[in-house]
Amino acid sequence: MPSFIVNYVRVVDYVSTRFGRIAMLLIFVMIGTLLLDAITRNLIKIPLYWCVELAQFTLAAYYIMGGAYSMQLETHVRMDLLYDRLSERNKARMDSFTAIFLVVYLFVLLFGSISSTIYAIETNQRLFSMWNPSVIPIKVIMVLGILLMLLQAISTFFKDLAKARGVELA
Amino acid sequence: MSYEAIAIIMFASMLLMLLTGQRVFAAIGIVSTVAALLLWGEGGVEMPFTAAFKLFKWYPLLTLPLFIYMGYILSESGIADDLYQMFHVWFGGLKGGLAVGTIGLMVVISAMNGLSVAGMAIGATIALPEMLRRGYDKVMITGVVQAGSSLGILVPPSVVLVLYGMIARESVGKLWLAGALPGLMMAALFIIYIVIRCRLQPHLGPTVSDEERQMPMSEKLRLLRAGIVPFLIFFFMTGLFVMGITSLVESSAVGATAATLAALVKRRLNRKVMEETIRKTLGISCMFMWIILAALCFGAVFDGIGAARAIESLFITNWNLTPWEVLIMMQLSYLFMGMFLDDTAMLVIVAPLYVPLVKILGFDPVWYGVLYTITCQIAYMTPPFGYNLFLMRAMAPPEITLADIYRSISPFVLVMIVALTLVMVFPQIALWLPGQIYTR
Repeated sequence: MPSFIVNYVRVVDYVSTRFGRIAMLLIFVMIGTLLLDAITRNLIKIPLYWCVELAQFTLAAYYIMGGAYSMQLETHVRMDLLYDRLSERNKARMDSFTAIFLVVYLFVLLFGSISSTIYAIETNQRLFSMWNPSVIPIKVIMVLGILLMLLQAISTFFKDLAKARGVELA
Repeated sequence: MSYEAIAIIMFASMLLMLLTGQRVFAAIGIVSTVAALLLWGEGGVEMPFTAAFKLFKWYPLLTLPLFIYMGYILSESGIADDLYQMFHVWFGGLKGGLAVGTIGLMVVISAMNGLSVAGMAIGATIALPEMLRRGYDKVMITGVVQAGSSLGILVPPSVVLVLYGMIARESVGKLWLAGALPGLMMAALFIIYIVIRCRLQPHLGPTVSDEERQMPMSEKLRLLRAGIVPFLIFFFMTGLFVMGITSLVESSAVGATAATLAALVKRRLNRKVMEETIRKTLGISCMFMWIILAALCFGAVFDGIGAARAIESLFITNWNLTPWEVLIMMQLSYLFMGMFLDDTAMLVIVAPLYVPLVKILGFDPVWYGVLYTITCQIAYMTPPFGYNLFLMRAMAPPEITLADIYRSISPFVLVMIVALTLVMVFPQIALWLPGQIYTR
């Protein structure tokens, strides 16, 4: 494999892992925010109307930013009726072929997220609620997360391709 | 091309994509993306991302990562070990008693968590090795753990019912309560099956020797304290929610906190356990969320071509089916599709087509949610595709082979079909409890 591909894989995998490790901690933000809401409303009778929305934003960031890392962890379920009978090498062959579906889907997703973010910036789009927060930050985070997922999918494709040819890529 | 043909082609190509073994979310995503582009050209290009914003609005799904987190914490917390010990001593004397105890354990776990992952982890790591050591039949107990853990999505709380509630626009509180009695009934049916089977074939589930269970009554009663923590967690989570004190998403945060505290008190939490828990939580949450994201796009395309109308006219106008025949057709189609399709995706794609039909036919959508969940439990366990099968293979001790896992489920699937039929014939089993608490 050419060295720029090796470097690409190394860099993308590193960045995905870093972002994933950060996203991982957001679970505590979700728990904390919702708990705070429950406590302040019931115990000191001060309803915090922004808590659920903040938790919603956090959830979106959590699964979008964590997406690339979860691809690395191989937690995504597959239908393994036929796939499981293949040898490791044939699995890699199959994956490097079907990676095109993953890449195209993520590409269209990325395209949609960018155009939706541009729209949000142009119209200064906000959530219609008491808190009335801007949706621009979360949309930008989603664009970055989807981009990272796309880069990771390509990195995974290179790794599968290498495996199919009998070499192991970091 | 007619819209029916498009719908059928979409389903068929999704099936084909899934067969290639590509990740489920990618298979569903690409089919819906290509369909959207072919149908609407440039106008379809934003559909995949629009689904992300629909998902954003489905904020009750916050319960999903929180329940996953809670499930992993519970299985690490040592609560399950104490519970197992309690059931072991109290039921060990019965033929097949440990299997009966395992079902009991699973009911308690299900009452604390809304997914089957927690029960699965606990069953495979605590109950299975113990029963194997005591000469229980491995095929039977593999089935016990799989069937028992599937109760997690029927006994409240339940994430599947949250998702159904989003789609059908029904109150999650009602749905959860509606699942309670059918869940307990199903557990009772499992127990009856185990007891009868072990009476007929005692070698499947030998009794635990008396010496081992020999302890003074006070000691035995003390074991019951293992139930206190689960009861408290259930009360703070589901109890406060049903009483209207906490909202749905808050209640799952309360549950996650309670489980963390319980694990802290038991001194089971260290850096390594915590790191592993939150990493697995991220992985499993991402798996579910990305599947739902892709399936929402698929659903949007279906919506765009009017698939709900098409099914309605097919069942009612063309085939001229009676309401009950339609209902049975729907359940059969779920069971069939559940073998091949991912169950979460199936809910997101197919439920929007069926729920309006259920309402037109005059059935109660809450009741239908329970029927759906039981069908989902069956789909979780039936090969070739099922989450529980998937998890079981990853978690079970090495002496349990794939063939054992496949063989183990058939009696339990039969019991589940009996339960499904009972709830269909007697809707009160599901609807009585919510009727008592929520006066309509």
